[in-house]
Parts: sequence; structure tokens; C-alpha cells
Amino acid sequence: MSVRLQSPLSCYAIVLPSLVLLTTFVYLPVVWAFASSLYEFEIGADSHFVGLAHYGEYLGQDPTAFPSLANMLVLTLIAAIMRMSFPLIIARLIYALPTERWRYIYRIVFLVPIVVPGVAVQLIWADMIYSDFGLLNELLRGVGLSHWTRGWLADPQTALASIALIGFPFVGGFEVLIYYAGFSSIPESVNEASALDGCTGLQKFFRIDIPMVLSQLKLILILTLIGGIQGFENIFILTRGGPGFETTVPGLWMYFNAFSFQRMGYACAIGVLLFAIIFGLTLLNMKYFKSSEDLQGVR
Amino acid sequence: MPISRKYLPLIAFLLLSVWLLWPPAEETTNAGASTKHPEQAQYVIKFAAGWAYLPDTHPFGIGKPLQGLKNVIRDFEARFPDTRIEVLTVPGVREYLVTQLGSGEAPDILNVNVENVWTDVQKGWYVPLDPFLEQANPFVVEQGDATKPGYKQWWDMFRYQAISRGKAAPDGLNYCLTFDMVETGIYYNKTLFAKLGLAVPETWEEFIAVMEKIQAHRRDDGTETVPLLVNIGAFNDWTTDLFFDQLYYDLLPGIDLVQDPTREPYLDGYLDWDELAFLHQKGFFSARDPRYREVWQKMRELKRYTNKNLMTDDLIREFVTQRGAMIWTASPMSYRLSGDKSLGFDWGVFYMPSFTRTTSPYASGQAMCVIGGAATQLEVSNSAIADTDPSLPMRERMAQSQRLKRVIEFLQFICLPENNAQIVNEYPALLPNIIGVETLPILQPFAEILDRRYTTTKWIFTFDLRFSEIQQRMLELYLTDGIDLDSFLHWQEQNIDAAVANMLKRKMPDMQRLEERWQALAPVRATMQDLPMEEPQL
Repeated sequence: MSVRLQSPLSCYAIVLPSLVLLTTFVYLPVVWAFASSLYEFEIGADSHFVGLAHYGEYLGQDPTAFPSLANMLVLTLIAAIMRMSFPLIIARLIYALPTERWRYIYRIVFLVPIVVPGVAVQLIWADMIYSDFGLLNELLRGVGLSHWTRGWLADPQTALASIALIGFPFVGGFEVLIYYAGFSSIPESVNEASALDGCTGLQKFFRIDIPMVLSQLKLILILTLIGGIQGFENIFILTRGGPGFETTVPGLWMYFNAFSFQRMGYACAIGVLLFAIIFGLTLLNMKYFKSSEDLQGVR
Repeated sequence: MPISRKYLPLIAFLLLSVWLLWPPAEETTNAGASTKHPEQAQYVIKFAAGWAYLPDTHPFGIGKPLQGLKNVIRDFEARFPDTRIEVLTVPGVREYLVTQLGSGEAPDILNVNVENVWTDVQKGWYVPLDPFLEQANPFVVEQGDATKPGYKQWWDMFRYQAISRGKAAPDGLNYCLTFDMVETGIYYNKTLFAKLGLAVPETWEEFIAVMEKIQAHRRDDGTETVPLLVNIGAFNDWTTDLFFDQLYYDLLPGIDLVQDPTREPYLDGYLDWDELAFLHQKGFFSARDPRYREVWQKMRELKRYTNKNLMTDDLIREFVTQRGAMIWTASPMSYRLSGDKSLGFDWGVFYMPSFTRTTSPYASGQAMCVIGGAATQLEVSNSAIADTDPSLPMRERMAQSQRLKRVIEFLQFICLPENNAQIVNEYPALLPNIIGVETLPILQPFAEILDRRYTTTKWIFTFDLRFSEIQQRMLELYLTDGIDLDSFLHWQEQNIDAAVANMLKRKMPDMQRLEERWQALAPVRATMQDLPMEEPQL
């Protein structure tokens, strides 16, 4: 049974509840955060207007600002490279399997780790791999390299890299599935044409397959940028941003300022700056990163 | 429709999983202690008791489920049929505290370090307890024995008066009921010490020598043993205060500027935040202060003998598996170790040995002071006076509130020795602070430590949370060779400057009074060596 909507008004009426909820819970808090960033504001105490002083303080005086922005950039860049390479290769290999049965089994194998909570993964790495008597140090001792052992997350030389490498070998099920869906949607005619033209193997991968999954790559890139700039929970669990500020990112400092130091207005200013960075990068991505539809001239 | 046979293994697997995860019959997941239905009670008092006494839990997974607090609550509810006490499990984090108190939704009775409370006392979130502590405990009075502590003043019931009264906030009021005590100690592997021919060290030099011998020792599998297991929290809190006390004690006659009549009898020479702020402006606690430099240098010396990763929270594992020879932690560890039937070694406890003049020219020679003290610190929140008009002053709200009266009665009830013993001595982890309740034998070493002089100051609780957060981060970086001493001190100076400015802005102390006292003590300081120079006036 199909239902035909009588007028555009009924379409608006149906969309309205969602729009109201979206405005209330997403857009208004953004506006409220910006307004709060202009005030010295502490829970349970009086607030007073300070204008853009918090922005000036963060960008001009806060010694954590630029190191933490640099950390965020490094971690986001590494995450983007990892999430756009290893899962892509795995997805392509699964796609190349000869039978659907084996493709299904491999998809399941790569998907199952998704059910492990992120916090548990972080703790496994911190307590089982990076600890003083963890897998990594024991391995080094086992091969006679005791002098290389260290507190991987506590040593300023290795802390940031250790965080960046959590999740090795970076073949998260979500990305694999997205890329696999992209490969699966490549028209059979394209595959046949490339085979007839003698385009196979790596040449096909780079010249046919990757351009055909650019939409998926673009999606993963945007999600990685947003996650990398906003995210801090893994760092909070692993190092709390230390030692010093070696692994601090702006989101973590925002959290500390809001709920620990009670500088809500200052935290809001950091949040608004992060929002501006994400917004700008997303716009750049939308403008300059071609999707497969763009390449095919669909749009 | 019959179930397809191919689903049978899956169903069997799910049933097996459910069976494996089913809780044992004798346990209960209900952490509440009351048997009364909320609708039966006029007063429902919410009590965030903290981890130590939570009914039906097994601390460290040892022994029977805790019943002590539950039994006392039942007795109280039987006595006051209109009251229900709900024991809550709440996150032990400041984020929770701030948001709950700000919204007026916090439990009536909280258990948080009172230094966290001091930051917010001006907001009216907490009820000062002095008016009640200075009155008799009615439950003692009704027993009719005028010689019993508590008959005249509730205050008199507390064994550790210095620590309990020393919990008064910088505004002079006491927001904290010090329910029990905790102290730190160095637990050591007696078996390993005997094997290596080591004795318990009595001076800092002996302590370093012991750790060097342990570090040189190789286990049967060729791996090294970590001499001392300690985390960054202990470095930032305990070590800072102990070393500071060791090196500044001799200066106290010339720099202890405030003689608070309420606190001084119990906290002799204690340096409050306003004194620290003032002294910092005079050049103390800066790169120019040789004692201050020494505090951090000694800490780095100690770090050479500890675990590499200071952020870890699971050091007990390394101690019980004998990868570490000593662990610096608090008294509940005794319960953990005594309950471990497969430990495989004997253990003992000693306290951090004191500095000598060989350690530092500034060493006072005093025994290391007490840095522990109050464990369960109970505060009454603004929820307890929610039955009064919020626009009234705190004193009036306290006088009017019937709910607060019941909350206080509950606190007075759990301080009775017979009730307190049921709760605190149900298992050996924390030490009772009520006269008439015996300290369990296994905790006796900590009772002896608690008899020492209290610390000169508690740095991480002195200023705001930003200060302690930055100090901990930069200290960890310094201890892991990420920065040198001068860079660390530069950070620390900026950190103290910011904390002092914030405190002066928020609390506006009378610095002129401190200046006058400073001038008066000038002749005393003239006899002292190596005081920091005041910052040159530009």
C-alpha cells in the first residue's frame, strides 16, 4: 500500500518534529556554548562578561594550546592514513576472494572486534602491552634488548607514538565494511572492461578500484577528522594527557577546564574553536576531495 | 513450527553463557541497606558512603559481603521509623560532585576529601558542622555516663583530634566529619630482604643503599626486581609533602605567619594557602629557593629506583608476583595481603626514613611526618537543607531544617563506639577515629605512624585543581627526564603564580596582616641560612 502526500505542507509537518529536536539538542547548544564562551562562568558562582578574552587567553597565553593542537594534528593525521589504507587493502583482498562463502566468513571475522568496547581496548593496551611487565617489554627482554624497555606511555619520547599505534593493525571492521560496500558497488561492466584492456592487479587497484571508492574514502576521512579533533577519551584513559602535556589534545584540556577547574566559559571557548576547525576542514574536504560520483560526472 | 536443528548449538551456547554468568545464590546485587520502602519514610536520606563500607560488597574480593553499615542503618531506622537511609554508590570524581551540587541533587551526606570541599565553600553547597560538633552527642547523653566522650561535646569522641580539627576550611569552619583514618607505609617483601641480608632502613642513606642492592639483584629467570613500586599520584602528593616538611621544618619559626587559635593547637606550624601565597611572593618556592630545588632533586633521585611507568594503577600485581620488592601504598593493602593465601612470601611495613645532613644540608633531622590522616571524610551537602527557603542565610536554614536535624542524628549515631566498631572494624583496612574502638592488630603499625607530627602543608590541596593537575603533569615529565630541573621550576613558578592570583581574587585574604607578621619575624629569619632572595623590584 502506498500513501501519497497531499501537499508540501504535510511534508514540512512530518519533518518538523525532527527539526525541532535537532534545533533544541544540537544547534541551540552550539549557540549557547558560543554565548557562554564570552563569560567568566563557573557552576554555582556569578558570571560576568569578558568578551573574547577567553579566545585571546587560549591562543595567546595558554602554554598548552599549540603543543596540544600539534598533538591533535599528528594523531589525526596518523589515524587518517591508517584508516584510509589498511582497511582499504583488507576490503579489497576480501572482495577478491573467489567465493561468497569465504567473503562472508572474512567479513564476519573483521567485524566481530567491533563489539569490544573502546575503553576495554584502551585498557588492554595499557595494562597488557605497554605496562612495565607487559607484552612489549617482556618481548624485548626475551630477545636480549632489556635496555630498550621503558614505560611506553610514561616516557615523553614514546608516549604520543604509543597512543597513535593503539589499534594496530588498524583493520577496524567498520572501515572494512564501508570499503567493501564500495568495491561491491563497482559495476561488473567496469571490471570486465578493465580486464579486456589488460588492466589487472595493482594497476587496476590504483586506476579503477580506488577512484570507484572515493566516496567511501571521503566519508572515512571526514569521520576521522571529526573524531580526531573532538576525541580525547582514549587519551584520558591512557595518560590523562601526560607526561607534562606531551599527549594533551585541546578536547582533553577543554574537559579539564569545564569539569575539573570549573572554568566553563574558557572550556566553551576551546569547544567553539574546535567546532570552527572541524567546520573548516569539512568544508575543504567537501570542496577539494572528489567523490566517485564527481569523477563519473553523475553530479 | 519446529525449531530448525541448525539453531540448536546456538541455543545451547546461549543457555550455557547465561548459566555461567548467573550470580551465586548467596550474593545480592542490592547495595542499599534499608529495609524500609521509600513511601513509608518522611525523610529519605541519601548517603554516599564511599567504597570502604558499601553494604554487600567484598573489598578486594575477599571475605564475606560487608554487613556492618547495613546493620547500623537498620538500628537507626528502627529507632526513627520516619527515616530511610539510602546508601548510594557514586563516582568518586569531581565532575560528579560539581554537577550534582550545582543542581541541588547531591546526596545528603558525601564522602570526599575535604580539600575538594574548600574550593567551593563560598557557594553554600556545604553545611558547616561546628555548631553540632560543639554540642553533646544526644545518643551518648541518653546513656547517662557523664564521663564518656561525647557527653559534653561531640568533638570529644574523636581520637585523632589534630587531624580531625585540622580539617577546618580556610574560612575557619569545619565541613568535615573525620570518620576513620588511613596512613601510608612501605610494604616490603620480608623474604627477599632476608635473602639479600637487608635490614629495614632507618635513614634516607640506608634506604637508598637497600634499593641499590635490590636493583642489582637478579631473579632466577635473570630479570631485575623493581626496588620500590609507586605511582605518580604518590609522588605528587605524599612525596612532595614529606620532602617539603623535611627541608623546611627548621624555617617554620621564621615563616609560619598565621597562628590560628582554632587550628594551631592541633596543627602546629601548619602553612595554609594564604601563607604559601605570601611566602611565594617573597621569593619562596621558586628557582631561587635552594630548599625548593632540593625537594624536586631528591624526588628524581628516588625515581631511579621505582617502576618506569608512573601512571599505572596496578602496582599491587607487581608486588604480589615479586617483581617489586617494596610498594608504597595505604593501610587497606594489609587486608589485601593478609587475605592472599598463595602469596608465597612474608611481608612487613615500615615508614619512609628521614633525611639526614648527609642527604641534604637543609635536613631538619625530624622523623618523617604524617601525611595520611582522614580516610572517610563525611560532608553534609545543601540537599540536607532543601526543606528550607534557599534565600535565607545558611545559619537560619540550618536552624530551621528538620531534615538536617535527622541527617546530623544519623552521623551522631554512627559515631557511637558500638556502632562505629561494627562499621570500621568489620575488616582491617582503615583505623577507627572514635575513642573506645580498638585498632585491629594488623593495622597497629599505622596507628604508630599516626602518632607522629602532622605535615607542614599539603601542597596539592592548597590551591585549586588546576594547580595540582599541572604540577602532577610537569612532575611526571620531569621525573621521566622529559625536562630538566630549571624548566620544571619555571613551569612550577608560573603554576604557583596563576594559583596565587586566582586565590587572591576569589578569597581576598588580608595580606597586610601577613606582611606585618613577616616584618615582626625578620630577626628570627636573620639567623637562618640560604633563604631565597625577594624578587628584584623593577
